[in-house]
Amino acid sequence: MTPLNDTLSILREPPRPRSFSKAYWDATREKRLIVQYDKRSGKYQFFPRATSIYDGHRDLDWREVSGKGEVFSYTIAYRARPPFQGHEPFVIGLVTLDEGVNVMANIGHCGRDRLKIGLRVKPLWAPLANGTHLLMFEPD
Amino acid sequence: MALHDTACVGYAETKIVEKSDRDVWELGAEILETLLDKTGFEKGEIDGLILSSAMTGAGNCFWSQTTADQLALEVDHCQTVDIGGCSPLGALARAAAAIDAGLCNTVLCLYADTQATENNQRMRSFHNEWTAPFGYIGPPAAFGLLSRRYEHQFGLDYASLGKLAVAQRGHAILNELAVEKFRKPISVDDYLNSRMIADPVRLLDSVMVCDGASGLLVTGRKAAEKKGLSKIVVPIGYGERTNYRAGEAIVDVTESGHYVAGQRAFAQSGLKPTDIASFHPYDDFIIAIMLQLEMLGFCKRGQGCDFINEHDFTHSGDFPLNTGGGQISAGQCGLAGGGTNLVEAVRQLLGEGGKRQVKNTKNALVTGIGGIPYGRNWSSSVVMILTPNA
Repeated sequence: MTPLNDTLSILREPPRPRSFSKAYWDATREKRLIVQYDKRSGKYQFFPRATSIYDGHRDLDWREVSGKGEVFSYTIAYRARPPFQGHEPFVIGLVTLDEGVNVMANIGHCGRDRLKIGLRVKPLWAPLANGTHLLMFEPD
Repeated sequence: MALHDTACVGYAETKIVEKSDRDVWELGAEILETLLDKTGFEKGEIDGLILSSAMTGAGNCFWSQTTADQLALEVDHCQTVDIGGCSPLGALARAAAAIDAGLCNTVLCLYADTQATENNQRMRSFHNEWTAPFGYIGPPAAFGLLSRRYEHQFGLDYASLGKLAVAQRGHAILNELAVEKFRKPISVDDYLNSRMIADPVRLLDSVMVCDGASGLLVTGRKAAEKKGLSKIVVPIGYGERTNYRAGEAIVDVTESGHYVAGQRAFAQSGLKPTDIASFHPYDDFIIAIMLQLEMLGFCKRGQGCDFINEHDFTHSGDFPLNTGGGQISAGQCGLAGGGTNLVEAVRQLLGEGGKRQVKNTKNALVTGIGGIPYGRNWSSSVVMILTPNA
């Protein structure tokens, strides 16, 4: 079987942040992961939104987290569009951070034999052309 | 009650093709003309137009007005429903509501899209920041994540899913309007051996985007009776849910809004799952059919494969499933694709299923799935139960 591509060599366009997600992307310049936190409900949310998913209020904090978590689910992509086309197969995972949110990302440095739901993972930061970084994961 | 005072007095459907050499409005005109010819209604009697979403129309935020103009329809109610694959059923429910509210009397529900030839969609959502950087191609990857999770929670026998694919393919062979490419038989082995797209999602799990159109002419039951139209189909139960469990950061992807939409539709209709005579679920991926069997209470959660193994899903079997082939074997007409299984249900209830006619036409249950959100299964779930004039 073809080994799984860690996708680190793929040149990705830096995303275009929104007014309410800019802080997230700015923090990734220093490879820091910050997640929105609703102190009224005591819960985190991801991806960043302009409002709390819990009560509809806008007063949200950013909290820095470790980025450690475990694989909730994963799929192995055998078909992709540019710039990923030709780099298949690669892993798209859904990772449950220890803070209780699910984050989608590629999982790198992980062979088929290790890849499974429940696998402990930690951040793997992929540099982007504008100085920000993309949060990916690798086995912890 | 509004819903069951509504009558579908006619249905129409074009041939589904891989790439249409006819414009989306030419397909729309074919639907309009067919409905007028079949029902005896005059164009001027149509005073409502409700469209499904269309990838072809996606660049035009005046889509329903522009389409009304192209078809020269003068209407008192004009809208596009934009809940993705739920739009065709949503359009019928909104037609019933509009007629009941006195906004209009007779509605053309038109489901036309030429996404394969002309996709004008420009997505504004989470994609750019949160999924596109990972090579996520949307639905196949989402259903790959869902399938893997289902397998982890309950176990998943892929041969059972293959059985559904084979049954639907058999129906497409009997459906002259299905896309020609799929009008040949497949086996469970063909399904299992088809190439992986987003492991564990295979090619034969997946819909192929095509071009085509369908539609319904909808009016009040009394108006239909006045015209002497006795061959009608009546919606008797409907449920719709968008953003199921929106206020939760992590959701169980093996559970969908069909759970609540189904409960509402069953309660409104007075029927229960064991009463359902034929099942026409939205099928973008095979596993979606199984999840809906569970969500709608045909079987318990996690027991979808057992249910599949125990039933015969062919048109002559004990649990007829998507008797036109479903979108997976008849072709997905872009965002109008939800109309394919709906129109097939109406056709069956009117006894016009021909070689694939089901025996029991007491009722039919049709569903919709629309939109792929972040880390969940789908955005909108709709369920409708229909009966012939009874």
